[in-house]
Amino acid sequence: MLLVLGKGGVGKTTIAAGLAALEAQTHGGAIFIEFGDGEAGKRSLSGVGRSVRHVVVRPIDAAQRAATPLFGSATVAKIVLGNFAIKPLIAVAPAIRELAMLEVVRQVAADNPGTRVIVDMPATGHSVAWLRVPTQGRDFLGSGPLFELCDRIRRDLLSPGRASIIVVSLPERLVIEETLELCAAIVRDTGLAVDRIAVNRVPVALPPEALADARALAGSGGPLARSAADLASVLEAREAQRAEAVAALDSLAGKEHTVWHVPLAPSDPTAKDVARWLLAEGAP
Amino acid sequence: MSKTDPLVIVCAGGGGVGKTTTSAALAVALARNGRSTLIVTIDPARRLAGAMGVDITDEVTRVAVPEAGSRLCALMPDPRRSLHTFAEQLFEHEPVAKARLLSNKLYIGLADAAAGVHELVAMNLVARAAERGSFDVVVIDTAPSRHAVDFVTLPGRLAALLGGRTVTWLSGLAERTSGGASGSSGLIGWGAGHVENLLAKVTGPVLVRDTGDLFRDLAVVRDRFVALTQHAATLLLGPRAAYLLVTAPTAAGRDDVLYLHKRLEKLGPGSRAVVMNRADTHAASYARALRGQPGVSAAMASAMTIIEDERAARSSAADALSAELRARIPGLPTVRLPFIEASAPERVVAALSRELEPYIHTLLPAAAAER
Repeated sequence: MLLVLGKGGVGKTTIAAGLAALEAQTHGGAIFIEFGDGEAGKRSLSGVGRSVRHVVVRPIDAAQRAATPLFGSATVAKIVLGNFAIKPLIAVAPAIRELAMLEVVRQVAADNPGTRVIVDMPATGHSVAWLRVPTQGRDFLGSGPLFELCDRIRRDLLSPGRASIIVVSLPERLVIEETLELCAAIVRDTGLAVDRIAVNRVPVALPPEALADARALAGSGGPLARSAADLASVLEAREAQRAEAVAALDSLAGKEHTVWHVPLAPSDPTAKDVARWLLAEGAP
Repeated sequence: MSKTDPLVIVCAGGGGVGKTTTSAALAVALARNGRSTLIVTIDPARRLAGAMGVDITDEVTRVAVPEAGSRLCALMPDPRRSLHTFAEQLFEHEPVAKARLLSNKLYIGLADAAAGVHELVAMNLVARAAERGSFDVVVIDTAPSRHAVDFVTLPGRLAALLGGRTVTWLSGLAERTSGGASGSSGLIGWGAGHVENLLAKVTGPVLVRDTGDLFRDLAVVRDRFVALTQHAATLLLGPRAAYLLVTAPTAAGRDDVLYLHKRLEKLGPGSRAVVMNRADTHAASYARALRGQPGVSAAMASAMTIIEDERAARSSAADALSAELRARIPGLPTVRLPFIEASAPERVVAALSRELEPYIHTLLPAAAAER
């Protein structure tokens, strides 16, 4: 199982879908699990074909699906979860939903032994809270069926032999810092190790002499000086961004995480594009 | 309330569209235009906080921005402190109950994972700031998720949970299930008792006990909670609020903006305008001037080609998205902002604030025009 984590807007779904496409290419099939409405995954996976099975887990369905084995039947689960007091409790109690969604992931993985499951996890901040829920639940409950469910998720889903964690980041100093904090939190709070950091949107290099040339032309005082100065300032900004990216990536070099670089694309890359780039980076 | 509430601009959008930067730029533009402005960042982007010289705390901090005088303040509460802040907001005068709540593992487990609690805490802080301060406008940058706008209904949902028989039932759960017999009669009573016993069997006695404790404590502060959140709800859903859909010309940006528009219509407030980032309308003037000129080196030409190709890809995607939005949501104005070629966040904010200035009246709530 591959759990793909990262803060909002870093391109987590694209990378996760790319990993699923790559897995399908190299091993003939993969399951891609997405939480929510499934639109983002569908978009990324367009053109990949049937070798990637796209499973969408909606919070409402997840609670009932996870509770069914607990209560022994879907009907009883439905009655309990539909109870006038339980229903609003679940509506505002995300820990229950999160536990249910993790249980559904566990069920999907258990039903498909031998197939790699790639999970596009919800954006962090909350992701580590997500992964902590089964441990918190287990420590807190002490016994009973719900305790066993938490324990089962920990054992079958959130244990080092079962799940690999991939954190998606961006080549910006503070984002990388947050990523490293997230990695530390994952290790501390879940006992899982982070296997890879995928740094998305690494800026492409421009011809190195362009900036010096533009500066020279800007200093020439000719009719093009002003425009050349504008170009120079754009190139400087790009250079600064690229330098920041390189420094940010270097800051990862001393760490034990393997890093994949995914280039910055001017328009939306597809899962196939990402699979190609990841393959070039030595994935999976 | 003796004075008028501030105008509220809520910036909503999916992840990666530049929402936090745009919100900050809008706040800067408003402050420069003479309006006393508070920028509230619910998603704690430390990069921006650092760039603006603001700490991530529950306190309103003044932001020094050129030409804005002392009119810009920021509030960037730390989500990791929300649990404590929420308990403090609820149990200001009841230290014992507060301590009990903060040691209730269920509360910690629930609230820690609850996306909406942080927003709620932030909004309560906004309401307090609005009561104390004299802000003309509050700009709220929501979390980078299409579901972030749902927090506007959270005060109502929580109040519903804390009110009436739900909380009574939950707070009495432990006593009823520990005795074994449900003690109720009749078909409905049997049904409820049956649910209680099933629940107790599945979850174990600890969860049942903590649920009971939690809701007994929360029931006590229900009125305070309702009062506390009422002002936040008025600010968010009243006529002085407007919702901006921040997007970028990507497939995800497109889907999110269409979803959010529909969602905001459903939740009530609707949307005021779309702000589209990275939506340049034409090639940079330097590129037009330099193209093909003698003295422009091959390296410069090749760099410009790469930059221009990227811009062209953005522009055509932005044109397509603008056209689609015009067709699908007629009458909703779209403000297009260029991609800013700068690496320092404060420079991007400054440049975008200049771009936004001509559109301030398009973006302010309609109530701004009434005096």
